[in-house]
Amino acid sequence: MNRRELLLAGVSAAAAGSLAYPGTSRAQAPKEVTIGVIYPMSGASAQVGIDARNAFETALDIINNDHQLDLVAAKGAGLAALGGAKIRLVFADHQADPQKGRAEAERLITQEKVSAIIGCYQSSVSATVSAVTERYGVPFLCADSSSPSLQRRNMKFFFRPAAQDEMFSAAMFDFFDAQKKKGKKIDSVGLFFEDTIFGVDSSNTQRKLANDRGYKIAADVKYRTNSPSLTAEVQQLKSADPDVLMPSTYTTDAMLLVKTMAELGFKPKNLVAQASGFSEQVTYDAVGDKLKGAITRASFSLDLAAKRPFIKTVNDMFKARSTRDLNDNTSRQFMGLLLLAEAINRAGSLEGPKVRDALAATDIPGTSTIMPWARVKYGPDGQNPEASPVLLQYLGDKFVTIFPSEVAIADAIWPMNG
Amino acid sequence: MTTQALLQVLASGLLMGLIYALIAVGLSLIFGLMDVVNFAHGEFLMTAMYVVFGLFLFTALDPVLFAPVAAAVLFCVGALAYLGIVRFAMRAKANQGMVQIFATFGLATLLQGAAQYFLTPDYRSIGNSWLGGKTLDLGGVFLPWPQMFGGLVSIAAFGGLYLLMSRTDFGKALEATREDQGAVALVGIDRNRVFALGWGLGAALVGLAGAVLAIFYYIHPQVGATFGLIAYVTVALGGFGSVFGALVAGVIVGLVEALTAAFLPPAMKSLGIFALYLGVVFIRPSGLFGKL
Repeated sequence: MNRRELLLAGVSAAAAGSLAYPGTSRAQAPKEVTIGVIYPMSGASAQVGIDARNAFETALDIINNDHQLDLVAAKGAGLAALGGAKIRLVFADHQADPQKGRAEAERLITQEKVSAIIGCYQSSVSATVSAVTERYGVPFLCADSSSPSLQRRNMKFFFRPAAQDEMFSAAMFDFFDAQKKKGKKIDSVGLFFEDTIFGVDSSNTQRKLANDRGYKIAADVKYRTNSPSLTAEVQQLKSADPDVLMPSTYTTDAMLLVKTMAELGFKPKNLVAQASGFSEQVTYDAVGDKLKGAITRASFSLDLAAKRPFIKTVNDMFKARSTRDLNDNTSRQFMGLLLLAEAINRAGSLEGPKVRDALAATDIPGTSTIMPWARVKYGPDGQNPEASPVLLQYLGDKFVTIFPSEVAIADAIWPMNG
Repeated sequence: MTTQALLQVLASGLLMGLIYALIAVGLSLIFGLMDVVNFAHGEFLMTAMYVVFGLFLFTALDPVLFAPVAAAVLFCVGALAYLGIVRFAMRAKANQGMVQIFATFGLATLLQGAAQYFLTPDYRSIGNSWLGGKTLDLGGVFLPWPQMFGGLVSIAAFGGLYLLMSRTDFGKALEATREDQGAVALVGIDRNRVFALGWGLGAALVGLAGAVLAIFYYIHPQVGATFGLIAYVTVALGGFGSVFGALVAGVIVGLVEALTAAFLPPAMKSLGIFALYLGVVFIRPSGLFGKL
């Protein structure tokens, strides 16, 4: 056998081995369950993907190993109903590009044979990915994209345990109403939003809520995302000087917005953000000194650890991987995978339609999660309507929950810049 | 819109435009010298920003002081890029233009990937500096000191570049090589050496721009893309190879961008720049000051 023949023989043996594997594994109980994870791992929001990876790997540790925590999917190693099968994650990079997301979803389903997909941070990407999963009949767990329009496409395989921007924005306006009752002045709001589906959907909701509840819209600025400068945009906000500035921005623009406001001598009376860039620690590391008193909506609050000690355990596990605390995004990613694992276990099967039915039948009390949610129970559109959002205020070194009053641990400082 | 608001928009546009010009001039210089478009130009900018950020972390000195260091480091990066990559790309027997494009594009991807791998894709920014966050209030028109510093550095760099090109032997050699690459060899000018120095100089200029930007802009591996595209438009508008053209075009791009954002919905702020660019391409394809 010469070198060339040897090489050929090796290649064909390897190919035969890999071809034989799926055939045999179907027959017995599966040894592992493959789940696709599609996030921005490179490009301008790569850090989100890297943090997400740490969150998912923390969740994986909890699912695949035995942890005595009062948390969904924590007890016992692996998925009991599938003979203790372990979950394996396959990560894919969408670079914040909806088309790349679509291609990766196809690849994960057809090549990697994933049982479900979880993703995708950017709502624009979740939109294309969920269209692919729907077509192939594979469940899509939307962990952290918050555009309301995602659930309005009559999809059977789309599930979102966390709140969407209508629920978040309604909480903001409930909070404004409550402040008004206390005699604080809030007449006008200023909308500032980026030009993809996240910003546009968020602003549509906020515009409608403002009109319905009688708040004047003093500024309504749609801006180009990742701009080199935001001077003209901030100039418009400054001339309008609304009682509350409501930005819907990703991280880069959040940092530039705050810097530019300071440069142009504009101190918004109040700032209530649609999370995203304003829930990232890097934003506060960079411009936190100018954000004292800023409020952001959130799905998660570390305060809750006082009531549910396992949240601290989970946070410590995450921190050991990423050196950061869990935040609005990573908490939702973490929880999303646990809920998916719980449903696959209940389905006792890897087939898309069965996992889908199990997801649809989910009914878990909020106390078994790390979130302030009342319950996890998906509606016919796949949205969990009981994912109660919270508002957090930044006090210069940490966030405290200020709304709703049931979970608040402090009164809001209002106005932020008097 | 009040006069004050208009003045603010114009002033901001002018300051940003001077920085755009400084970013673009290196690209223009390299193209003029040897007809190579450097697609890694934005990544050179990113490298310079990380150099300043790194020095700031390790020495805790003010980032303003690192502008010359960034320029020097980038000079080496540029010269090495020529000697290590572009020189070989230019020897391609067929499709030389394509080979050069892909060589520099590959360099761009490499630099981005290396930055993401070794420096993480986290957003960095320089917190405290002499100029950071300080503004000059001229009767309600706010001029941020970091951008003013950037404008001054840009003007100084263009002045220096003019003197270098017109008063020194190196400038003459550069000009001669640009005119006729073949003939200069006959009078004893080493073409390779001039090209390497030209790449160094072009990269050093974008290094200065990066040092200025690092003071007030966030830093991450993809930051070059934001400014890179504007640099290509600026160079095409001013005329490929024209140093003075880059200055004028940079200022025009800055002003048009600011005015578009002020009068149209800001989401369309790039519309003005690209409409202007399209107009120039149709009416005067060589750019405002191009000699092609």
